[in-house]
Amino acid sequence: MDRIDYYAYTSNLRNINPQLKAAVAAVSLFFCIGVNSILVSVLVFLTMGAVTTLAGGLSLRNYVAFLRIPLAFLLLGTFAIAIDISAHPQGQILFPIFKSFVYLPQGGGQLALGLILKAMAAVSAMYMLVLSTPAGEVIGVLRRLHIPKIFVELMNLVYRFIFVILNTQCTMKQAAVSRMGYCDFKTSCYSFGRIAGNLFLVSLKKSSTYYDALEARCYEGELLFLEEEKPVKAKQVWAVVCYFILLMLAFYVSSKI
Amino acid sequence: MEEMLLQAEGINFSYNDGKRALSNINLSVKKGEKIAVLGSNGAGKSTCFLTLNGVLRPQSGKIYYQGKEIQNKNLNELRKHVGIVFQEADNQIIASTVSAEISFGPMNLKLPKQEVKRRVEHALDCMNLTDLKDRPPHYLSGGEKKRVSIADIIAMESQVILFDEPTSSLDPVNVKMLEQVLDQLTDMGKTLLISTHNVDFAYRWADRGVVFSDGSIIGDGTIRQIFEDKALLNKANLKEPILLQVYHSMVKHGKFPEVKESPKDMLELNKLLEIY
Repeated sequence: MDRIDYYAYTSNLRNINPQLKAAVAAVSLFFCIGVNSILVSVLVFLTMGAVTTLAGGLSLRNYVAFLRIPLAFLLLGTFAIAIDISAHPQGQILFPIFKSFVYLPQGGGQLALGLILKAMAAVSAMYMLVLSTPAGEVIGVLRRLHIPKIFVELMNLVYRFIFVILNTQCTMKQAAVSRMGYCDFKTSCYSFGRIAGNLFLVSLKKSSTYYDALEARCYEGELLFLEEEKPVKAKQVWAVVCYFILLMLAFYVSSKI
Repeated sequence: MEEMLLQAEGINFSYNDGKRALSNINLSVKKGEKIAVLGSNGAGKSTCFLTLNGVLRPQSGKIYYQGKEIQNKNLNELRKHVGIVFQEADNQIIASTVSAEISFGPMNLKLPKQEVKRRVEHALDCMNLTDLKDRPPHYLSGGEKKRVSIADIIAMESQVILFDEPTSSLDPVNVKMLEQVLDQLTDMGKTLLISTHNVDFAYRWADRGVVFSDGSIIGDGTIRQIFEDKALLNKANLKEPILLQVYHSMVKHGKFPEVKESPKDMLELNKLLEIY
């Protein structure tokens, strides 16, 4: 979380209009889920990866590290699709177990591969957005989509407070470590609980001082911030249009095969 | 006659736990004054600031801004003209980038977008933050956060600015920077009230001193009067500024005769030493 935020902040793509980036990410996501074609998934996966690393300036190593997290879940999840258990011998039998057979069902491998590719393409499209757009701007896009105000404001506050609370927790933990609060497992558990409880109390108190600070600046029940306008450049629109045409072409080609 | 900006008359305030935080506070602030608010922890300085800004409403007593009494309906009038820079910048910063944070006050004043933009840019410029304007607050250092919290108030163009212990979390370089900012604000015609424990800073910077003890004001006068009053300093648990101690012991040892106005900074002390 902390690192994604940092990369978004340092990305070369940061100055591109966030709505444009969100539109590209959303279209890629829905397109590759909707058309169900391996070619489109591969294309989305590769182009989004290229945009994030080559254009955005994120190192390939870091990008792969980010991809590994969802990949682990996917592999475990699709394992169940690729492999099946049955009492009767069928498909390609791998090995018998008790009185049943573990086997590869017909087309299961291809289905699993398709699923993995589709999911990874969708993830890479979302990564393209979040690794190039700071959270505040993503929230701004949601606000323009007329997501209810309460959610947008909550997202803003949650985002800010994640870091405030992380910071507080970090200092509390350091204070506990320095007093041997983490010397063995039992003490660690105890200290962890105390810190969690304390964090809650501190949060309550902080929320009231925050409210004072908001009121002092004429807060009247609505969080208003000035949003920076980032104009869309013609070059960027052309790039996006080309990308969409490419996607359509890939869909056309894959439907012919 | 200087213009009277902010007046508090007979302010009493208690928190929910029944503890009397302020009792019978009378304070008038004139335009362009530089006031140091002194007193030990829990003496009522912060509470007083919060009532002067209208965040806390006193149980009794009246607050006037430019001669107009402040009631619940024109509370925002007071908040608009009197800004507070909170002690902990982290308790004030709310937005996810520096420029969005600074825009929060002006946006609440329902100003047109162009005007908000102009004010934000002006505040960024004043606080030397232009390079950091897109940065999220959690990637700022303590001094930078303090500057952001001051820029917040500059953007609101408040006439009176209350600083709650601004020097407490700053290193010497940042304290120096803060003093430059304060001079800049005075040049802009702002009225400043600063609560502080740093007597040397207070003595150097302020024209007037207000001393709090146990929720009441026990001293109010020019900063020299305040620091020359030994009994008052004792009562409020304040120390004499180092420069004043040096000056007094030099006078005692006959380096120079006692002058009418004790030196406020090294420059004035050196001048005295050159004359005698």
